[in-house]
Amino acid sequence: MAFDQQKVLLFGVAAAVRLLLFTAFPSLPNLLTGRVEISTPVTSFKRLQEGVFLYTHNVSPYDGGVFHQAPLLLPLFSLLPNPAFHPFATNLLYTVVDLLGANALMQIAESWQSAAPRLFKSSRKDLRWSSIAIGAGFLFNPFTITTCIARPTSALTNLFILISMAKASQGAGATFVLALSFASYLAMHPILLFPPLLLLCYDARATKTKSTPPLLTFAVVHVLALAAALGGLLYLSALLMGSWEFLAATYGVRLLLPDLTPNVGLWWYFFTEMFDSFREFFLGVFWLHVVSYVPGLTIRLRKQPLFVATTLTGIFAVFTPYPSIADGTLYLSLVPLFRHLFPLMRYTFLASSTILYASFIGPAFYYLWIYAGSGNANFFYAITLVWSLGLSVIVGDSLYAALRDELDVERPELRGKEVKRI
Amino acid sequence: MRSFLPLLFFNYLIAFASAASDYYERLLLRPLPRSALLASFNFRSNESSASFDQQHFRYFPRSLGQILQHAGTKELHLRFSLGRWDAESWGQQPWDGAREGGTGVELWAWLEALSEEEAFARWLTLTNALSGLFCASLNFIDATKTIRPVMSFQPEGDHHNSSSLHLLHGTLPHEVVCTENLTPFLKLLPCKGKAGISSLLDGHKLFDASWQTMAIDVRPICGQDGTHCVLEMEQTVDMVLDIDRSKRPRDNPIPRPLPIEEIACDTSKHYNAEDTCYPLDKSAEPPWNLTDIFGRSLKGACPLTDEDGEGAKTVCINTPPERIIQANTTGQYVETRLASDTVRCYKLPTGADFDIDLPEQQMTTGLVLASPPLFAARSINGHGQERGSIQAVIRNPSFTDSVEFVYLESLPWFMKPYLHTLQARVDTSPSNPIKETYYRPAVDRHRGTHLELCMAIPPASTLTLTYDFEKAILRYTEYPPDANRGFDVAPAVIRLLSPGSSGKQGVYVRTTSLLLPLPTPDFSMPYNVIILTSTVMALGFGNIFNLLVRRFVGADEVQTMGAGGLQGVLRGRITRLRAKFTTG
Amino acid sequence: MALISTLLALRRDPRILKLPPYLSALCILVGVVWLLVLPLNEYSRNTYVSENALLPGQVHTYFTGSEHNIFRAYRHEVAALVDTSVQERTQRLGDIFRSSNLKVATQKYEYHASGRNISNQNVYAILHGPRADATEAIVLIGAWRNMADEVNHSGVALVLTLARYFKRWSLWSKDIIFLVSGDSTSGPQAWVDAYHDSYSPASIEPLSIKSGALQGAVAIDYPAGPWGHRYDKLHVVYDGVNGQLPNLDLFNTAVSIASGQMGIGCTLQRMWKHDDSYQERLQTMLRGMISQGLGHASGPHSSFIPYHVDAITLQTVGNGWHDEMSLGRTVESLFRSLNNLLEHLHQSFFFYLLMQANRFVSIGTYLPSAMLIAVNFTITSIALWVQSGRGVSTPNPASATPKASPDSKTSKPDSMTAAEKSGAIALIPTTSLAITERKLFLPLAFILASHFLGLLPLYIFNNTSEPYLGLAFNTITAVTTSLPVLTALLLSKFLCPTEQETTLIQCFSLLLLGMYLSALATLNFSLSFLVGIFASPLTFVRSLAPQTPPTTQSPQIPPSFVSKNRKSLSATMVILLVLLNPLVVIRAATLYWGATIVEVLVQAAEGWHVWGLWTQVVVWLVWWPAWFAGSVVVAGGLFA
Repeated sequence: MAFDQQKVLLFGVAAAVRLLLFTAFPSLPNLLTGRVEISTPVTSFKRLQEGVFLYTHNVSPYDGGVFHQAPLLLPLFSLLPNPAFHPFATNLLYTVVDLLGANALMQIAESWQSAAPRLFKSSRKDLRWSSIAIGAGFLFNPFTITTCIARPTSALTNLFILISMAKASQGAGATFVLALSFASYLAMHPILLFPPLLLLCYDARATKTKSTPPLLTFAVVHVLALAAALGGLLYLSALLMGSWEFLAATYGVRLLLPDLTPNVGLWWYFFTEMFDSFREFFLGVFWLHVVSYVPGLTIRLRKQPLFVATTLTGIFAVFTPYPSIADGTLYLSLVPLFRHLFPLMRYTFLASSTILYASFIGPAFYYLWIYAGSGNANFFYAITLVWSLGLSVIVGDSLYAALRDELDVERPELRGKEVKRI
Repeated sequence: MRSFLPLLFFNYLIAFASAASDYYERLLLRPLPRSALLASFNFRSNESSASFDQQHFRYFPRSLGQILQHAGTKELHLRFSLGRWDAESWGQQPWDGAREGGTGVELWAWLEALSEEEAFARWLTLTNALSGLFCASLNFIDATKTIRPVMSFQPEGDHHNSSSLHLLHGTLPHEVVCTENLTPFLKLLPCKGKAGISSLLDGHKLFDASWQTMAIDVRPICGQDGTHCVLEMEQTVDMVLDIDRSKRPRDNPIPRPLPIEEIACDTSKHYNAEDTCYPLDKSAEPPWNLTDIFGRSLKGACPLTDEDGEGAKTVCINTPPERIIQANTTGQYVETRLASDTVRCYKLPTGADFDIDLPEQQMTTGLVLASPPLFAARSINGHGQERGSIQAVIRNPSFTDSVEFVYLESLPWFMKPYLHTLQARVDTSPSNPIKETYYRPAVDRHRGTHLELCMAIPPASTLTLTYDFEKAILRYTEYPPDANRGFDVAPAVIRLLSPGSSGKQGVYVRTTSLLLPLPTPDFSMPYNVIILTSTVMALGFGNIFNLLVRRFVGADEVQTMGAGGLQGVLRGRITRLRAKFTTG
Repeated sequence: MALISTLLALRRDPRILKLPPYLSALCILVGVVWLLVLPLNEYSRNTYVSENALLPGQVHTYFTGSEHNIFRAYRHEVAALVDTSVQERTQRLGDIFRSSNLKVATQKYEYHASGRNISNQNVYAILHGPRADATEAIVLIGAWRNMADEVNHSGVALVLTLARYFKRWSLWSKDIIFLVSGDSTSGPQAWVDAYHDSYSPASIEPLSIKSGALQGAVAIDYPAGPWGHRYDKLHVVYDGVNGQLPNLDLFNTAVSIASGQMGIGCTLQRMWKHDDSYQERLQTMLRGMISQGLGHASGPHSSFIPYHVDAITLQTVGNGWHDEMSLGRTVESLFRSLNNLLEHLHQSFFFYLLMQANRFVSIGTYLPSAMLIAVNFTITSIALWVQSGRGVSTPNPASATPKASPDSKTSKPDSMTAAEKSGAIALIPTTSLAITERKLFLPLAFILASHFLGLLPLYIFNNTSEPYLGLAFNTITAVTTSLPVLTALLLSKFLCPTEQETTLIQCFSLLLLGMYLSALATLNFSLSFLVGIFASPLTFVRSLAPQTPPTTQSPQIPPSFVSKNRKSLSATMVILLVLLNPLVVIRAATLYWGATIVEVLVQAAEGWHVWGLWTQVVVWLVWWPAWFAGSVVVAGGLFA
């Protein structure tokens, strides 16, 4: 069982690194929590603390402009000791969250859904990284570590997304639906992952059990299950809060963007500078834009649902209202699953160094704008543009690679030849 | 301490004289250290509530009365203030803070209404009407600047149906008070600034003062048995003048350096020479008279004041008994001495100018100024436009008794406090001084934060209150023209519960207002931002959907695009053209 | 898309792989030339005041007459305090402030840096503006001792006199704070830290009275003794800590008031005589760049600038006919202008290079030079990238390069997989790859290790006490000089890195260097430029391992020659690099400017502990690791 030893070693080291950082630099968590690149108004840990404080003092946290996160988090975090004095429990929680996420990621890797789903065998499917490597890639990614230290709730969202993917790729319908409903309950936009993951789950189920149920009934059943799960969660929250006002304060904020605190996304500055009369129109357009990717990708890449889901996470990391590097790190940790596509990608180095540059220059420009006062908002805005561009280049490039990969299977005679798109 | 008690006694006199007569005015002058002079004007006019309801006004100004009736306002308090009261050197405020406002404009009123919504609607009516009446931008007191205090304010008047009364409170910290607010203020007086002490009120001097506040208070007062209620309107103007500065003539206000002859040099210095002079600071009380200080002469008594009794003592000056004061007027006046001679009051002559003259004098005794019950200072810690923390330092000077008080903060919505970071520490005791907390968080663009803390300070100790806050970035249309100046945060209001005051008008202390710099976007380029963002989105969208909708074929299968790229495109064009020509 | 496909069309061209060295050489050349042409009239601009509210020199100043007598008296008072204790001095100054009806408070501070003990006391007074509501304030600073450690007699006396004079005016719409700091660097730092409540209570006393948000600060440096001294010009000092600059409007206002209204000439960067010639302008600009690059505190004003409080120091120089009253009137007029401000200074430039009191270039014009220098490293690293991709002897443009094509799949050997994985390194860090791809582990580990190694001297220099600093410097110089050769030897002995790995080491180090420098160029242009210049040879040195393919040579050496005497070439390059060792460069610089290395290090340590200076971090974590990696790569050629 050398493999398990490796896994234990990996998890041990990862946990050690995190706990060491937590304990060695006690001021680091609060410092990172304040970074706009990591914690957004809808995921910030400081705002969560405020919400918990108000909740424990019988003030409705949603009757205010600070707290925009899901209600069920409140009892969870009110059980933990106050992180201001006894941070260990919280640190442990977030470390465990990361480890579970890595575990789910490795499950995805071990189920061969990435390179060889049911309907499609990639011609390079033997070209892949071991699940250990992929898990390490997630656990030791500096973005993941900073996210874990800064303790935003997007870490939980990521965990649930990964679990739902893992369960879907294993064909475990119930747990997949449950995990996805949790993710969507926390962050709303993961619900867009449902169609591809549903297909993924269907394929996995079909590969396992030779008797495949008709897709339609399968879909209907799971849609109902998802609706039931979400409804249950929302009803539970309403019971907890005593009213439905949390809907407007959580999902309403994600939809309508009243809080324009800077983040790495494209929305905040756009709607800071937008004329009031067009605000609603462009909100609609932007959301439509995000949603529009789902059907297109799902239909065109019917054969590789896992890849569709991965690409969607990448798109969320760029085009949602409150993205943070936590969303980016989710995508960047899922990409290595598709090791077999790398030879077909063309701009890897360019995009990687773009992201690297952006992640260094971004804080510098933010400092110039906010603290030194010598730069203005355009500095930071430009860097968010670059960051988004870099990510979207990777997304597009991997998509190209995937399509090219399919082509190679369809028409083997074209392998290695130059192709055109018409 | 000898001359400290009479001061209280004197203040009490004014409070007592209130309900007696229908119209009443008094000017209290009190020299303060460092050649400052406190001048506190006080006007009262009563109207029986019966005639008020019949819109039958005698002393009560009709303009204001009708506004109050229209807006269903039962009790009104309005403050215009400028500068800050220097408690360390000037001691307690003249009205214990009950008539002095914080920087800018402050308005609170008890409105009669059946529901919150109706009360707020009436409140808006009131603010708009008052802004018209006083030429102030009170109409900018909207929902985001309005709060409903629970502990900080108590009605001063006697109200029968206090159940249907709603208290609303709003502030405009950035409103600059100036002469256009003074003129309507004087118009409300029966003598309209033509006679009586109000004839001294001159905009130039008033707004040249180091600190000045104007207040209007309307409250119903009933007798012991609750009958024959009167509606009392009290107008006060308090100012602290710098005597040297105010004595400068209007035509030559520039403080040029004095000729060397007029400067008292310290000849004991070894280097003293005709070109070297170490200035001695004057220990003598500076000379002054009313005409110099106020730039106008006092034009006799207002005929509406009482002929005798308390109401007749119109001009009072509060100095040590040894200070030489000589009143010069052509008419006849009466001087009375109160409070063991530390207060000298004058009954003004009618129709003749009146002036009091104080020569320069070397004093041996001085008045002990009553020290304020609390010293409060508030400041913003940290730098940068992302977040900060408020620090309020409140000191209890008394060595004997502890002070219990309510601390009221009304913050704008774009300043998001984190209540879980709120800490209150007393340097002498480890116990938590916060007894009670009322908190109503802000809602973006709809409501400001409203925080009230009930706290207690043990004697001779200092309380430090801190909490973190975050600054929101606004839409670029929500910034004022001077966005880079920052936004003003209203002063914190502190109301003393114990030791309170004798009357119904409580004891208040107000901090200074704060300047809150917010992060600003670039106002010059909305179009560029829209275009650039849209471009990036279009790149992503176009790239991905381009891949999704197109079909791959081998490069060699499409002959027109041999080498691909521009080259290929051009070649394709050329071949197409050639084809056209050959066919044509 | 069209652009990309045209690039694709170019890719078959083999020359494109020879290009990079020439390209980066071109970048460096253009970058330097760019800087050299800036002083020409065509590229620099005349200064102008953008903030309309300032109205410089529009008011009549009245600071004359009897104030002069009082000033002389105060100057005698100050002179009498020179030999007294700090406590007594503070007390006396406080009394003088009090006598003009101001609120006075004091602040003790005590720092420890490099074994020395910096302790002194600030005294300050607040004038409540009659029109002010305690929301804004401006500061007038007179440090007790100026940068040259002379007692600032007339400066402090002038602050006292102006405090008394300003008190009489009723037009101040901002509070005015008069600060007499114990010294010129730590005192203001302690005060401004405490004012913004970002301080360690261990070393600094909190301020008992405060005012509103600081809008600007002006420091007076006029060390003329009790019998006065007539000066010739005003030397305007404007560099802040870490090379941050005040708003150009403040500088322009001061210059236009002094020269326009008062007729006092203004100089900057110690250019006592400046005949508007090209050389003079260039010299001024370069001096400005060097002092900005060092990032040290250049006066009492420096500590204010990191807090976004625009500040300058007015220093009197030379022998002339201007007396203290003209300086006083200049300050009066300057404060009247600042008093007019409605908003915090934001209109004009924060990034500029001044080449004369009324001539400057803005960031848009000069930034490209530093950026080009930074870009040249990136270009080379990309080139090395490609080369490492083809390193394992498959002559096929790796599909990992930005310009590479999809059709490089005919032979898709492991060379590309290597490149591919390294393509992911930006995202997937060491250990993960450690498990999968050995080839990449060594370079990344080496780069990381060299950065961590840089922390060691950083710590040593900041925490060694003064007497041992010289020794420490020499030893570390010796060690760092010999370290690369030893490392190369050990590497070749034990790990025997393949040529690809050495290439990757250089590639990554250059990539990181380019990235750091381009980020730094926006924070401290001059530092980025200087480091870039000194590090530029790293672009061209190569490890001359035996089986070097012809495409990877450095441009100036023909292959046959290379293959003939490899070792000697490597040796020469090693020696060249030894000369470029950061420590050697620093030593040379100190010799050139006639400073002793110890006082430089002491200053640096004080900066680190007191002002929050970041220059040494750049030196040890950006410059030194890059140099180290480069030298090791080159030295590898000796043992390969």
